[in-house]
Amino acid sequence: MNRWVRYLALGLLAWSAVTSAGQQMLMARVAMKSDLAMEYLRTAIEEHGYAVAHVQKCDSGLAGFGFHSDTYRVFFFGKLEEVRRISEKHPEFSAYLPLKIALEAEKDETLLAAVDPTTFERYYAKDRDMIIQFRRWKSDIRSIFAEVRKVAGDKVVQAFQP
Amino acid sequence: MLSRILFVVAGLLGFASAQAAPDGQALYIEHCAVCHQFAGAGGIGLPLAGKKFADYSDDYLFKTIRLGRPGRIMPAFEELSDAQVEAIVRFLRVRTGSKPAEYDPAPLGGDAARGKALYQKHCVACHAEDGLGAGKGTGVSVARKRSFLVMPAAIANPGFQRAASDAMIRQIITHGRPASGMPTFGKILSQQEITDVVAYVRELGKRVSPPEPIAPDEKPSHVYESPYDFETTVKNVKQALTGNNFRIFPDRFLEQGLTDEFSVNRRQVGIRFCNFNELYGMLNIEPRLGVVLPCRITILERPGGKVLLVVPNLRVESRWFNNDQLVRLWDHMEETFSEIIDEVTL
Ligand code: HEC
Ligand code: HEC
Repeated sequence: MNRWVRYLALGLLAWSAVTSAGQQMLMARVAMKSDLAMEYLRTAIEEHGYAVAHVQKCDSGLAGFGFHSDTYRVFFFGKLEEVRRISEKHPEFSAYLPLKIALEAEKDETLLAAVDPTTFERYYAKDRDMIIQFRRWKSDIRSIFAEVRKVAGDKVVQAFQP
Repeated sequence: MLSRILFVVAGLLGFASAQAAPDGQALYIEHCAVCHQFAGAGGIGLPLAGKKFADYSDDYLFKTIRLGRPGRIMPAFEELSDAQVEAIVRFLRVRTGSKPAEYDPAPLGGDAARGKALYQKHCVACHAEDGLGAGKGTGVSVARKRSFLVMPAAIANPGFQRAASDAMIRQIITHGRPASGMPTFGKILSQQEITDVVAYVRELGKRVSPPEPIAPDEKPSHVYESPYDFETTVKNVKQALTGNNFRIFPDRFLEQGLTDEFSVNRRQVGIRFCNFNELYGMLNIEPRLGVVLPCRITILERPGGKVLLVVPNLRVESRWFNNDQLVRLWDHMEETFSEIIDEVTL
């Protein structure tokens, strides 16, 4: 009986691995050039009570490798109190602190992306504080993206003619 | 009188909200534009525009949104309601000015063995031996270096296989995708030959195996205890990284930028490193890499003097992207990371 349950569980696991297109990402396209989008992103992060710790340039020399975009930045942001408390109690989580948002230029538009913080919930199932923390971060990141999108306005969607 | 007006207004409001269909365009902008662009020109995703929509049934579009493309970046939109998915499909119809095609869902029963020879002659260069797409990456990825005008789709992908009927696949092959570089095979092959190719495309679908799953309890980071003190550990890590051809960036304290320089805890530091050649290769496969930026080893001195090294687990991180190409690459790279840590902690 127990064995059957295990086979069934393994089978389900294998099946879900084949069929699920799960994704742990929050993303947005912003109808705005990247230099402006960077300004608004910084403001939106700060308005949500975080400090931008630094902005890492990942694009030096991208063009030399055949890339058309030469703006690729990663915004690191956090709250001192959170970083201190969490790295103390959960040193293993310091690999993910401060938080990150990637910003990439696509011609006149800008893409924003972040790992969905609730992805980590399964590793902290018994830690209510962490679960609440992940949900707050998710809600903040979505709200930050929404704010930048709102300033940019959505582009009228005209059909692309190939 | 007033109450009657209010009643009528309330009635109208109630009526309006009961009738309001989900807004397909708004849903598209929120959920799809990030990969397919606002106008459907394609980005990380394929173009969603042009004549090809006349080949698609609404059922195909509906299922594609629901199932996504497992292991091929497009997520499954399971949280959208049927009405919302239908609204997106209607929006795509209006925007492309196309009418839905109707297909008999029955298998066509072609000869896969004959189809195989034709596939290898006519399709392999773009869709690859295994039907998972030749070249690195997907779609049109505007900012990326591409080996094709549009990256050929993974036609063996379970999402495509489940969404498309045999008859629809036959139609796609017959018409080709001239705007994207796929020839119009109706002019090159007979209908029987195309039917045989469809049978082989189904064969390829059965052979797909996703990357090895990892144990559900595998953690997103590794923690190692260093046998050395804080300063020595930092020095050893840098030495090992340089020895493995990584470029090292200036250190950053974990709290740096979050408080003034006098309050920063200087016994928590991130060593950041990079190998540009590899980074650019990886960006072709996965443009969203910056969300993890895994090349950092964090060194923490704990109360009592114990020194910990915290290293991201690439095997777990790569699985957040729904991108099998990245998973396969990073499962391999994870070994390099472990070797560096061994060097440092021995
Ligand atoms: C994270 C990126 C991403 C998002 C978000 C996304 N897609 Fe896709 N989509 C892709 C990729 C990548 C492919 C092509 C897969 C391949 O190369 O095999 C694709 C393929 C498709 C196709 C098949 C195209 C064809 O010609 O057969 C359709 C239809 C589609 N997407 C619709 C949508 C819709 C509608 C949404 C929003 C509800 C959406 N996608 C959201 C990445 C995405
Ligand atoms: C020159 C490259 C090229 C060749 C050769 C080619 N294809 Fe394609 N194929 C593509 C591209 C690019 C796309 C995506 C086009 C688009 O959606 O705009 C595609 C799309 C498809 C699709 C639709 C997949 C989807 O997700 O919408 C099918 C099915 C397909 N090809 C089958 C074939 C078969 C079978 C052959 C051989 C008989 C073939 N192709 C030969 C480049 C090619």
